Amino acid sequence: MTVRNSLKIKFATVVLLALMAGLVSYPRAAVKIPRLYNALNKLQIKQGLDLQGGFHLEYNVDLSQVEAGKKAEALNALQGIIEHRVNAFGVSEPLVYIKKSGTGEILVVELAGVKDIAQAKEIIKETPLLEFKETKIDASNQIPQETLDQLNAEGPKKAADILKQAQGGADFAQLAKDNSQDPGSKDQGGDLGMVKEGMMVPEFNTALFDPTFKDGTIYPTVVETQYGWHILKKIATTGSGDILEVHAAHILIAKATQPEPQTSYIDTGLTGKNLKNATVGYSNQALSEPTVNLEFDAEGTKLLADVSQRNIGKPLAIFLDGQIIEAPTVKSALTNGRAEISGGFKTVKDAQALVKSLNEGSLPVPIGDPIYEQNVDASLGQASLMSSLKAGAIGLAIVLLFMIIYYRYLGFIASIALLIYTALMVAIFKLSAFTPWGITFTLSGIAGFILSIGMAVDANVLIFERTKEELRRGRDMMSAVDEGFRRAWPSIRDGNYSTILTSIILVWVGTGFVKGFAIILMLGVVVSMFTAIVLVKIILKFTLRKWATDRMWLIVRVRKSANSEQKIEDKK
Amino acid sequence: MMQIISKRKYFYVVSGVLTLASLAILISWGLKFGIDFTGGTEMKVRFSQNVPNNNVIADKLKELDLESLMVKAAADRTVTVDYRNSNDQINRDVFGKIKELDGSAVQVSTDFIGSTVSAQLKNSAIKALILAILGIALYIAWAFRKVSRPVSSWKYGLGAITALAHDILITVGVFVILGKFFGVEVGVPFIAALLTILGYSVNDTIVVFDRTRENLLRAGAKEDFEDIVNRSLNETLARSINTSLTVIIVLFALVIFGGESIRYFSVALLFGVTFGTYSSIYVASALLVTIYKFQIKKA
Repeated sequence: MTVRNSLKIKFATVVLLALMAGLVSYPRAAVKIPRLYNALNKLQIKQGLDLQGGFHLEYNVDLSQVEAGKKAEALNALQGIIEHRVNAFGVSEPLVYIKKSGTGEILVVELAGVKDIAQAKEIIKETPLLEFKETKIDASNQIPQETLDQLNAEGPKKAADILKQAQGGADFAQLAKDNSQDPGSKDQGGDLGMVKEGMMVPEFNTALFDPTFKDGTIYPTVVETQYGWHILKKIATTGSGDILEVHAAHILIAKATQPEPQTSYIDTGLTGKNLKNATVGYSNQALSEPTVNLEFDAEGTKLLADVSQRNIGKPLAIFLDGQIIEAPTVKSALTNGRAEISGGFKTVKDAQALVKSLNEGSLPVPIGDPIYEQNVDASLGQASLMSSLKAGAIGLAIVLLFMIIYYRYLGFIASIALLIYTALMVAIFKLSAFTPWGITFTLSGIAGFILSIGMAVDANVLIFERTKEELRRGRDMMSAVDEGFRRAWPSIRDGNYSTILTSIILVWVGTGFVKGFAIILMLGVVVSMFTAIVLVKIILKFTLRKWATDRMWLIVRVRKSANSEQKIEDKK
Repeated sequence: MMQIISKRKYFYVVSGVLTLASLAILISWGLKFGIDFTGGTEMKVRFSQNVPNNNVIADKLKELDLESLMVKAAADRTVTVDYRNSNDQINRDVFGKIKELDGSAVQVSTDFIGSTVSAQLKNSAIKALILAILGIALYIAWAFRKVSRPVSSWKYGLGAITALAHDILITVGVFVILGKFFGVEVGVPFIAALLTILGYSVNDTIVVFDRTRENLLRAGAKEDFEDIVNRSLNETLARSINTSLTVIIVLFALVIFGGESIRYFSVALLFGVTFGTYSSIYVASALLVTIYKFQIKKA
């Protein structure tokens, strides 16, 4: 591959990169291609609290009441339960985590876009409530069996009657509309659509797929299923073997059944404060069947004995924060303050989930009032965002102007690289959402970004000054450019190192505001090294040819001396 | 060629005066620390129509007996209420009282920092500053390990750090004045600005020293040290000024057009970078020469 060709490829890559960066950062440009626009528009920069509004609260976690070994468990449980509560707000991305501080642990809750901070604080503060309730089944709506039997005696007769009518040539669809008690198909003339084998209950299935049951005919007898009595019509059959399907219709005379009994829950007085511990265990019968073992305190033991005695064979409902999480059936009276919940957990994970919930309810880890709060109204956030973006745009424009005026053609190329840099950074911000290091944009982050724009051209300034110097020394344009890049690199590298060094310290030691600023500044320095050096070099080498080398004024101011010899001088 | 080194006496005087003055007011007046370091609450409330007078608000809040209460009016019908207490319940009471003055007042933002948290922040800030200074000192020592004549490499570091200290002190001095006369408070962002200035200013100084080093290696014993340094300065003048100019341009844009919450952060950066440029050109290299002359005198 010739040098020229490899340069062409590099240049093409640069153009491609610029286009992609531009599109990702500014999807509006692709508005004419709807699919592309929609896909690109989905990429959004994640906005921090100070831009989209919301609050950030920190609480001291009081671990003094917790036994030594259980601290991690308590913290985990606390985080889980607060997350559970906070989720009730329907906020898109609640952030709840525990962080270490000098003296202990701190619970951090961050919710974006929440208006009512007072209510949020209330809900967070409450310690979780675990309740055991007994169930009462209200069977008063049950119909006596004789009435049921009576109602159902008429069914077969009615069905037989309809069958005769259908076999006699009456319009099946009309019969269905008038008589069928299947609300799903009655209005469509009983049409069930395409039915595959196994889709319906066995009795229905056998009848429908009976090979002697011909298309376009009515099944000779009434078919009885748990739902009632059916008159079947086979309309057509398609396919065979696996894909055998029947287009069927039916008329249903429904069986009367018992209505569902009402369940209500009654407090037993047994709550989370009585639960000493919940653990996962294995029942004696089969090692693979996990159980949840509960251990209650003295008062709880008594209560449990009473409640279990009363409810043998009935379910005992467990409520967490007002929502039922399990309702195991009581097998026998429990008098030793221990209960085992078995036969309901398919995997160990299910059992563990319940244990976690139960322990959450029983570990009172008080968190007290917030010790740190930052709450920003969305309006303020957006206003700050807008003005900062404006500032950035203005700053960028002036820098571009300056570069072009002072460094002419070189400056022009650097300006293009700077624009690519800006687009590339925005694209990186948006795409970072897919990586584990998603970047959240805050006001300080914007400041860092804008600052980095000013610093991005520094590398170019160094290179171009060096280039002009080489030109002054008499080199030709192409090698002067080369030398410029080569000689300026150590200064660029060393200078950027120190900025990166202080940024690292800021990230390590700093809090939210500082971290956001430093990370973006660091990113900017690295990316700008790429755009200012690699990109500019490629573009320059590609575009600087005979048309340019003959015109020195493109790079430096040229002044004719007394003896009409061209002296190359640069402005001070 | 500009005579920078030979005129260094003047620049020493200017820098010296500014630095000493900053140190003096820092000691006597001190920086005005915001809630980041003192703990407390800062609540911004926007009123729906007329903004009650600051005194009226302060009066209303008197019953709550708040520590060091300060009420300031700001743009856009907003009032900032500052007090030392940092207690959630009190904050709610405060807003409650304000609502008595205007039922549709809106809490635009509330920041409150408990005293333990602010103590920690102070700690972190100091740690960060110390680490940064150490880090940079080590970095400079390493960057200049190869140039040992006629001035040993650590002396380059000394020159750079003195220039840095000068930049930081003067920026701090500016904020002492801003705090004393305009009530501008200093918090974690200010520390971040100082650290950024540290990083950037050293960057600038190194660019100049780089050229000095290159010229030294090339010239050998032929040229006087003072002349080499002066020549190096002249050669790098354009790049020094321009690199800083681009940064100063964007910072100006941020200060003038940017969001209010980051305005003083940008101001700090602006002063730091400006003085950083000045010191890289007029102070750092001059110090090198002074050290060299001092060495000769001793010998």
